[in-house]
Amino acid sequence: MRHVRGFDVARPLSIGMLVFMMLPLVFLPLASIFIFGTSNGLDKFWAALTAPEAIFALKLSMATSFWATVFNVIFGLFAAYVLSRYNFWGRNALIVTISLPTAIPTAVAGFALLLLWGPYGTLGRLLAPHGFQIMFTAWAIILANIFVTFPLAFGVIKPVFDTMSHSLEEASATIGATRWQTFWHVTLPSLRGAIVSGALLTFARAVGEFGSTILVSGNLAGRTQTAPLYIFAKFNEGQIEAANAIAIVLALFSFLIFSVLFFARDWLDVD
Amino acid sequence: MAKAKETLIPRFEEPASSAPPSAAAASVVGISKRFGKASVLENISFDVGEGEVLVLLGASGSGKTTILRIIAGLEMPYTGKVILHGKDVTELPARERGVGVIFQSYALFPKMTVEKNIGYGLRIRKRKRKEIKETVNELLSLVQLEEHRKKYPSQLSGGQQQRVAIARTLAYKPEVLLFDEPFGALDTQTRVHLRREIRALLKKVNVPSIFITHDQEEALELGDRVAVLNVGHIEQIGTPFEIYNHPATEYVATFLGAANVLDAVIRQDFIEVGSAQIPAPTLDKAKFKPGDCVKIVFRPEDVSLHRGDLPRSTHPRLASAIIEEVAFVGAYERVRLIMEAGPDECKIDETSFLLTTETPDRKPSKSIIATRPKPEASTTQLHAGERVVVALTSFTVLPPQGSKGGN
Repeated sequence: MRHVRGFDVARPLSIGMLVFMMLPLVFLPLASIFIFGTSNGLDKFWAALTAPEAIFALKLSMATSFWATVFNVIFGLFAAYVLSRYNFWGRNALIVTISLPTAIPTAVAGFALLLLWGPYGTLGRLLAPHGFQIMFTAWAIILANIFVTFPLAFGVIKPVFDTMSHSLEEASATIGATRWQTFWHVTLPSLRGAIVSGALLTFARAVGEFGSTILVSGNLAGRTQTAPLYIFAKFNEGQIEAANAIAIVLALFSFLIFSVLFFARDWLDVD
Repeated sequence: MAKAKETLIPRFEEPASSAPPSAAAASVVGISKRFGKASVLENISFDVGEGEVLVLLGASGSGKTTILRIIAGLEMPYTGKVILHGKDVTELPARERGVGVIFQSYALFPKMTVEKNIGYGLRIRKRKRKEIKETVNELLSLVQLEEHRKKYPSQLSGGQQQRVAIARTLAYKPEVLLFDEPFGALDTQTRVHLRREIRALLKKVNVPSIFITHDQEEALELGDRVAVLNVGHIEQIGTPFEIYNHPATEYVATFLGAANVLDAVIRQDFIEVGSAQIPAPTLDKAKFKPGDCVKIVFRPEDVSLHRGDLPRSTHPRLASAIIEEVAFVGAYERVRLIMEAGPDECKIDETSFLLTTETPDRKPSKSIIATRPKPEASTTQLHAGERVVVALTSFTVLPPQGSKGGN
């Protein structure tokens, strides 16, 4: 019966295997957050969610991720422009350097920032006498977020720059536009899709950042504790429900971002 | 450009003049360009008159695109000047020159509608909204795209995109229009149709234009004048009539359609081609001296073929030849022949010149291509292997080898 016309056993078999393999690896862990988090009733879930410390952690995560995203998108645009428009000595080395932070363990990144900006750090030592303290504040979290998400926006925007026809910009110049006008009216609209997806990617990554944040923020509840740190802290204190409530929010949030990325790509790139 | 040609029999009434119609609207003076050590342009000079269409015709690598980019300000010349309406713009950046470039890919802005594309030049010039709207409307009707005004470039056909590209440059009243192989991306039928349409449009708006192309048919049809480029220098500039019928160099002769080129020697009162002596009473004595090695050039349609002897009063006899092949190619018949007694290798007088670009062991060509119109082909049928007498209705003598480029 293996050769019934139009029926290939390999098809349902391999699809089934794929789903089965993903079950314990992806589906079940995700599902358990939702099952466990709401098992004591929605009232308790809601109470855990609206605890002042929890709200603060979520807000802090959003704010620090937002500013890191703003910075990295602008930086990524600028870097992509420079690196795809001009050819110079050391260009490839620069590209590699920009991409490096993704490969560095986040704890190492946090540690490196501490060594530079910490009270006894290379730069921090010079700033401390003037009353500038960067580590263990929200600024430290933003710096850490910028560092670990550094190449994400750049990585999405640069290929679009590379494939963009140079003659569009030349046409704009011959029509009479300045460089800035050309960038604003011609280049930027073509990058719309890349900018939005680069921003979403950066933001999603920054919101979830843990390793570097725990080192540089000091993990002070209500002051420098972000959402992932909150989950970790509450779990350590045995308050599983409190940790779980925030975990659900972060999980839903990343679902949302990835659905936008997935479904809005076509819409963003429509000519 | 020196007109290096002699003809025995004028073909048609020759068009009036090859000079630009009036004062030059755009001039290129002594342009040269190098990329690193490689020289891509050598001393290029030409003028384009008001409302004139000049075509730069050349094979790829002839430097024609570089000339266009230098005029547009997208490339800096190594030496020389670009002058637009009397103003030296060589040092000005592209955006201050006011030239209109129609790129090969049209380079329409993909995220702007047709209207927005056409109005772009005026918007960045901060013109009043009302003025922009009026100009855009005028141009939309000029290029007949009124019903497509809200569409995006990707929704238009190639021809429509091209019209948008032209309208977009006309909006800011360009000093000169530059077309970079504008029909390259289109199929043959659309191409022929479009170039007629564009020529009509250009004559209507009366803006001086420079086209670049590698297609000789396109050049002859579009251009008021044509400049033939060969590896970085201009071989000849003239009306399509001049460059086709009186090519100045062998390169021009062979680049513009099929041409027969035979070695010949100048004698006192005639030109010697193999065993044939062709009378040439109007030959310029100053340019051609007896003993000079020259080339005669004639088009396939300038050859007349005869069975048996030539009637006395007809055109000069060139040779008797054996037919190699007779091929039917649509509108006419093409006959390939081998001369029985072809020209010998021209022995150069030691004193005549020293600079020769010719390879020494080159064998002079003996083959001739002739074409015959349908009626003649059907009344006198010819077959391969037959012996016929070849006569010339018209030919051009190229100046002695070595005195000018061309290979």
